[in-house]
Amino acid sequence: MQELERGSSSESVPRSQTSPSACVSSTRPRLLPLGYHFWRPLRRKQANKQRSMRARSSQHLQQARMRARRGDGSLVLFCRVKMNVGVAHSEVNPNTRVMSSRGMWLTYTLGVGLLHIVLLSIPFFSVPVAWTLTNVIHNLGMYVFLHAVKGTPFETPDQGKARLLTHWEQLDYGVQFTSSRKFFTISPIILYFLASFYTKYDPTHFIFNTTSLLTVLIPKLPQLHGVRIFGINKY
Amino acid sequence: MERPERAAAALGAQPRANGCSGAAHGGLRNGYVRGPPASDTQIDRIVHNGGLYKRPFNEAFEETPMLVAVLTYVGYGVLTLFGYLRDFMRQWKIEKCQNAIEREEQKDFVPLYQDFENFYTRNLYMRIRDTWNRPICSVPGAKVDVMERVSHDYNWTFTYTGRVIKGVINMGSYNYLGFAQNNGACQQAAAKVLSRYGAGVCSSRQEMGNLDKHEELEKLVARFLGVESAMAYGMGFATNSMNIPALVGKGCLILSDELNHASLVLGARLSGAAIRIFKHNNMRSLEKLLKDAIVHGQPRTRRPWKKILILVEGIYSMEGSIVRLPEVIALKKKYKSYLYLDEAHSIGALGPTGRGVVEYFGLNPEDVDVMMGTFTKSFGAAGGYIGGKKELIDYLRTHSHSAVYATSLSPPVVEQIITSMKCIMGEDGTTFGRECVQQLAENTRYFRRRLKEMGFIIYGNEDSPVVPLMLYMPAKIGAFGREMLKRNIGVVVVGFPATPIIESRARFCLSAAHTKEMLDTALKEINEVGDLLQLKYSRHRLVPLLDRPFDETTYEETED
Repeated sequence: MQELERGSSSESVPRSQTSPSACVSSTRPRLLPLGYHFWRPLRRKQANKQRSMRARSSQHLQQARMRARRGDGSLVLFCRVKMNVGVAHSEVNPNTRVMSSRGMWLTYTLGVGLLHIVLLSIPFFSVPVAWTLTNVIHNLGMYVFLHAVKGTPFETPDQGKARLLTHWEQLDYGVQFTSSRKFFTISPIILYFLASFYTKYDPTHFIFNTTSLLTVLIPKLPQLHGVRIFGINKY
Repeated sequence: MERPERAAAALGAQPRANGCSGAAHGGLRNGYVRGPPASDTQIDRIVHNGGLYKRPFNEAFEETPMLVAVLTYVGYGVLTLFGYLRDFMRQWKIEKCQNAIEREEQKDFVPLYQDFENFYTRNLYMRIRDTWNRPICSVPGAKVDVMERVSHDYNWTFTYTGRVIKGVINMGSYNYLGFAQNNGACQQAAAKVLSRYGAGVCSSRQEMGNLDKHEELEKLVARFLGVESAMAYGMGFATNSMNIPALVGKGCLILSDELNHASLVLGARLSGAAIRIFKHNNMRSLEKLLKDAIVHGQPRTRRPWKKILILVEGIYSMEGSIVRLPEVIALKKKYKSYLYLDEAHSIGALGPTGRGVVEYFGLNPEDVDVMMGTFTKSFGAAGGYIGGKKELIDYLRTHSHSAVYATSLSPPVVEQIITSMKCIMGEDGTTFGRECVQQLAENTRYFRRRLKEMGFIIYGNEDSPVVPLMLYMPAKIGAFGREMLKRNIGVVVVGFPATPIIESRARFCLSAAHTKEMLDTALKEINEVGDLLQLKYSRHRLVPLLDRPFDETTYEETED
């Protein structure tokens, strides 16, 4: 706790050698409302500071302590460069970039569309059932691939930093509210709206759709970054 | 060599002839140099590259067509699903597991390896493994002999059939000037030195390993590059990784290009300096980093950096792009930092007399503080060198780890370098070297032009002898490699994760030893395979690099 206070109080002391850049903040950083950052993504240091200020549990507190010590308010991005043997780029973990590469969103949308068409083609399923099944299967697939499977399918030169992280936690090296994260948060919600509409808000369908939406939305919250409830999926 | 400030005045003068017929300033096509040069060229304005380039700088990285990107992801998705299926079958013993597995007695221990990290290797790489690590059994010149091997269990094991595929056109060796041969003047000189000095040196440079041959080589390299002094090392990789720590340390800043080679990255990391990465060949990114570094200084204390070192390469071997050296030098002078230029691929391959990228742009070699290069590519030997001012090289002689701990160059290798370098410079009395350099330039231009006309997507600069041809889809990587070998052409293919996921490619390395007939044969086969595999994606939409937005919101890991 004390280090947190020390970290944040040093921000309010104006520096004697102020740099001309307007980006360096000399005021105490504000704790912005939770939804604010959804539309204005923060840079990594600011995101860390916000997260550190919200930290309550001991695990978050420890991580927050580490980050508060590092932060100094400057806007310059630091990069850790690793030795990448046999690769053509200095990207340490290619998994972080996959979801934002060209054409991925389109492929994902087309995949969901294809799944829906296949389900609609099965004669036994009525339209509401097909929509609920699309929603549920999509959320199941998303949960498994983004929130259950941990690590990378290839060896990374950072000695396994991401081994215990799910793909969602690896995206963009942990920076929250990037465009990929927003997209993959909004798409199950849109699917849920469509499913609710086409099932005419029937109570049974509602229960299935809502529970599966929650299984896929709750792990995406930034507060649950790195959290393993009851130790499930920890190692 | 003209300085960049006078580049504008020289713009109207004779263009350099590196196989390029050049054009007057009005005809420059690159979208960078525009309009007549200003009469009073100040360094600040040169940073925005008015008149820095004396020749067209044509570099293109055509964007992936959207359909191809979607199909690539679908391909990887299908391979992933099948990978999971196969893993499931292996786990339940339906299929025999050919991979190494933990012993039965150790099943309850914490596992040594995470088998998910091996997923890509066993499910994707193994399927197309026969396109890599092909054993060759002759000198890798323009043509090479490849040992034929077959696999009866889908590439898990190979057996040699005993046959040798002779005369495979070699488009994968870094044999830019064709000095990889086992006959000729270089080989005879090296054989003589071998019988006189032996093969090994058995010592490091500082102890007993400093031969007169090494001194001769270093003087020759210094003369070749146009610098005061040079030093040669036994290994190109070790030249970078052992000398950068000697030049910079804690309290210094390294600005490194995104696509720098692993040796540069390792050297930067070993030095202990702060490292910042700028976007590949993007001068605005570099200038922003320089400005931020000078304005903000070191992270916590705000003290000025002791040194700022910019690490760039002459030719980037995966992209085929050439560094924008005039702008880098202008930036370096404006912000008073140092420049380390790694000419591993560009020495001998660029420039009208093969002196590298500095000569290619018509710049002064004194502007580059540390000129590094390797003898592996254009000289057909092994090892690396560093050239620069005499004080710098004298400092490196005592402080470099390579000099103190590593064995010095082997004498026959030194003789090969000396002979080939003299040949390139024309000091052996023939014009053979000069012809090689010109032949390489012609080959490059011809090959690239023909491939572009056929409709393939080719990355990189027009003058770069490294030609990446985009394949994109994972299945085409294996198919391309195998089809080309069936047609007696050896190529190098690269895929994810060595390249970004949708940018797998085949990389051709041209050589002065390739005759036009060989290139025509190769082009004919590439055309056939391109039609067979439907690789002709180009829509001839060249994206001018200036229009690519400089993305400020990059998220990278922070420093510890």
